[in-house]
Amino acid sequence: MDRRDVIRFGTPLVLAVSIVAAVIILGVASQNPDGFEWSLFDFAGFTEPEGGFGGIWSFLGEGVVADATTGIIGIIAIFFLGYGLFWVISRRSK
Amino acid sequence: MHVPDGVLPIWLLVILYFLSGLMLVVSVKMINKKYDNRLVPYMGVLAAVIFAAQLVNFPVPPSSGHLVGSTLLAVMLGPWGGMLIIGMVLFVQALYGDGGLLTYGLNFFNMGVFSCLLGWALSLLLFKGLKRFTDEKKSVLFSTAIASYVTTVLAAFVLGLELLTVSGFGFAALTVITLVHAFIGIGEAVLTFMILLYFVKAKPQVISFLRESEVSEMARIPGVPMPTAQIEG
Repeated sequence: MDRRDVIRFGTPLVLAVSIVAAVIILGVASQNPDGFEWSLFDFAGFTEPEGGFGGIWSFLGEGVVADATTGIIGIIAIFFLGYGLFWVISRRSK
Repeated sequence: MHVPDGVLPIWLLVILYFLSGLMLVVSVKMINKKYDNRLVPYMGVLAAVIFAAQLVNFPVPPSSGHLVGSTLLAVMLGPWGGMLIIGMVLFVQALYGDGGLLTYGLNFFNMGVFSCLLGWALSLLLFKGLKRFTDEKKSVLFSTAIASYVTTVLAAFVLGLELLTVSGFGFAALTVITLVHAFIGIGEAVLTFMILLYFVKAKPQVISFLRESEVSEMARIPGVPMPTAQIEG
């Protein structure tokens, strides 16, 4: 990868991290239940099940700082996961 | 569209785990056979962008929605690459508590397998039609946006059908979940258009439908002819 490619690949990643951090910290994202949750739990009158597993970050509790931090960690983690997995399984270029 | 544990019957989850696992193996084999490692960094970037986009919900009163990105990925990398990225994103989300671990197979089937294959096929069909009237880049942008809308609505319909196995969830609720996603689909189409526009301008080589594509081979489905643009190219 040359410098121009690093910029091309890096820009969307930096943008994604920045936008998500800003949206979470500023509370801009919708707090409504998503389409599935609304249709099932609100419209159809189902009680939302209490899962035993709240996610690996549940010990951090709720809050803007925790959401932004775990969100950014997730974005970076999945970048490396995607990179690593495709590196392992893809065909080697000649 | 991320279904948590404890809603759907276990027999349905087992069937869809099996089907999804099978498709995951097929996609890994296809990537191993056809995918060139020079574009590996894009996989990481795309996975990160899709994960980030799914974190942010936009309002669709009384509900909300977020990008799924299956059609976008299928058009860029082909359905196999798209499936694998959606599979990774859903796996990390399940670890985060967004979508259940037992429902991972079902969520992957709806948003990965079904949406990537349908989104890819619809986009290709529309792309071929639009290309007669305008240039390739505009055609891919509009065909992908329209296909992503249709795919979102149909994926919600499929989820509604799966929910019919839950007692108390009837056809009225099936209609509602489909209708809500008819509005959420507009957001999906707009975001798909915007993200694809970035890649059309920054690196059209990673869009499988385009003539200059370096990943066109990935877009092939066994038994289905190659897209016209790639044959001509």
